[in-house]
Amino acid sequence: MKFSPNNGPSIIRLPLVPLIDVMFLLLMFFVLHLKGISPERQFTVNLPSGPPSSATATGSAASLPDIKVGLRSDRNGRLTQLTLGSKNLGNDDAAFDRLNREILQLIGRPGHPLTKDVEVEIDADYETHYRFVVKAISKCTGRMDPQTRQIARYVEKIKFAPPHKPKA
Amino acid sequence: MKTRKIDEKLCELDLTPLVDVVFLSLMLFMIALYFQHVKAGERARLPYDSLARPPGVEPERELVLNFGFRRSSGGRRRDPMPTVLLDDRHVEVRELSPELDRQKHALQSQSGNDALADVTVLIRADSDVPAGLVQELVQKCREGGFANFSLQELPAKQ
Repeated sequence: MKFSPNNGPSIIRLPLVPLIDVMFLLLMFFVLHLKGISPERQFTVNLPSGPPSSATATGSAASLPDIKVGLRSDRNGRLTQLTLGSKNLGNDDAAFDRLNREILQLIGRPGHPLTKDVEVEIDADYETHYRFVVKAISKCTGRMDPQTRQIARYVEKIKFAPPHKPKA
Repeated sequence: MKTRKIDEKLCELDLTPLVDVVFLSLMLFMIALYFQHVKAGERARLPYDSLARPPGVEPERELVLNFGFRRSSGGRRRDPMPTVLLDDRHVEVRELSPELDRQKHALQSQSGNDALADVTVLIRADSDVPAGLVQELVQKCREGGFANFSLQELPAKQ
């Protein structure tokens, strides 16, 4: 029985390189796309319990006063006035920075032990856009140092005042 | 014994099905991305914030409430009244109580009457919804027996 040594090809060359190139391109495309989706973050909120607070300074001498932040708006939800207690802070982006500074003045320094018991009550008009509420919560919560990117925490406890009626 | 001589040309690998598969996977991902964007248009556009925290400890159970506007694929609002997206249905806040009761009974039948204590309600509200409606939403949840809430945000773009 004789077999010829040249019956079949000696080497089958599969051009894998272009296939791998295409697969890597696809992989890169989808990895880069996924990188653009940011993970969500969150604020934890308390719920209003008991009657709404009527003044900003309700604490005793040994504790810091509770803080009431008001957001007034027009019928379209645009912010018309940001208040801290009875103090008008304006309605622009700088108003939120002023709120941040005022909160810092109230608590004295970031991480003050007494701030653990302090609550910020957010009292927003019915129509106020939710993003303004989130911004106010953020400015009460703390401040990010632009150089070090470290976050100085001011007040951790946030609660909502009972909802207002919509404007007629 | 006879052996057939194999022609060397017949041993070339046919690349066509491989290229087909690559193109099919490309098309699949492109179509999936397209529908993802269409679906994203319907979901809530969360507000941005730099100080919100990433979730530290994952809650044992969570109830996600997407609260936003029905939008076209171009992002335009189709209805001025925001709705809660629950099981692919749009429910207005004032009609939410029966739905929350259903969720509550489902949770309680799974894990007993104390199940709600471990549930965190994640509120994914659109940045343009009225704050009063978000508060009403929280109120409805509270009436339904839910006690833990988180407001979801996206990290601010630097």
